[in-house]
Amino acid sequence: MNKELEHSFVELLEKHQNIVHKVCRLYTNNYDAHNDLFQEITIQLWRAYPKFRGDAKFSTWMYRVGLNTAITLYRKSKRTIKTQEFEGVAFKMKAEYYDDTEEEQLKVLYKAVHQLNDIEKALVFLYLEDKDYREISETLGISEVNARVKMNRIKTKLKTILNP
Amino acid sequence: MDELDLLKKDWNKQTEHKTLSVKDIYPMLHKKSSSIVKMLFYISIAELIFWILISTIPYYTSDEFRTKLDKVYTNDYILNGLNIFSFSIIAVFIYLLYKSYKSISVTDSAKKLMESILKTRKIIKYYVLYNLIMVGLSLIIGLYYGLSNDPKISNIANLNTAKIFIISIVVIVFIAIVILLIWLFYRLLYGLLLKRLNRNYNELKKLEV
Repeated sequence: MNKELEHSFVELLEKHQNIVHKVCRLYTNNYDAHNDLFQEITIQLWRAYPKFRGDAKFSTWMYRVGLNTAITLYRKSKRTIKTQEFEGVAFKMKAEYYDDTEEEQLKVLYKAVHQLNDIEKALVFLYLEDKDYREISETLGISEVNARVKMNRIKTKLKTILNP
Repeated sequence: MDELDLLKKDWNKQTEHKTLSVKDIYPMLHKKSSSIVKMLFYISIAELIFWILISTIPYYTSDEFRTKLDKVYTNDYILNGLNIFSFSIIAVFIYLLYKSYKSISVTDSAKKLMESILKTRKIIKYYVLYNLIMVGLSLIIGLYYGLSNDPKISNIANLNTAKIFIISIVVIVFIAIVILLIWLFYRLLYGLLLKRLNRNYNELKKLEV
């Protein structure tokens, strides 16, 4: 691989790194695991980069590679401690949820999102990133209708997690 | 307000993680991947080498085995034919594996990517299955020849047909159990490796029903 390619890739990744961090935040729950996944996504992005064509936006392309790595390719390393952090959330939730400060609400929401399964997280991620259903369906390989239906189900699911 | 809209407002603000610099990113490009595709790749290479060794080592290391084998296959054409057959099977598997690895692309949709990986795993599975069947068959053929042609064995045991029948059954059952155990080991190995992938793939499939 030539130096120029490497250079342009690293600069692009540095500029758009937040996308990768967001994927990591969603799919891991501690610092080491976050770094591990970031590393793996970087490798996958770099490997696919020579085939990256300018006609797709770099960021759009990153969503795909990032999510694919997180939900398909990534093997949780041994360092990844299975945190007990999210256990018992349901108990605490009620008390916390009625605390009306927005910050508390957000904390609970993030915890609830972490309880979703990998595919649901991917949908939530793309939704939060303001992607339309066409792009969501193309990224995951499901139909647009099904993406929409699933998204509505996730919203309901989140409601039940938040208000048991 | 919708819960997710509340989250959306906050989503882009958050920057818990320290921002990486160009200097931090460079070394990452040259680290080794630990993805499941890499693991599958190593397993398939190990698989190919292992079974090739299993089938060739006895022939090249033991003179006795070679002479026996030559006796069984009195006809050189048969032996050569079998060799050509088994090596072409291996070549076909190598070709299929190569093609299937090539088709794994991280820029496909999630579903397509998962399907390509599962397809690759299937090819490795068939290769193992083929080898196990061949091992089973050759052991059974060997047993048959031993019992019917080798004077050493038939003299010692002073065998009659009933005894031969019972011994054969016992040995065949034993071989079947060993092969089954190896097969279960593989199931476990791939099961563990691809547990998450399978779960996510099924989740995606469920959406399409």
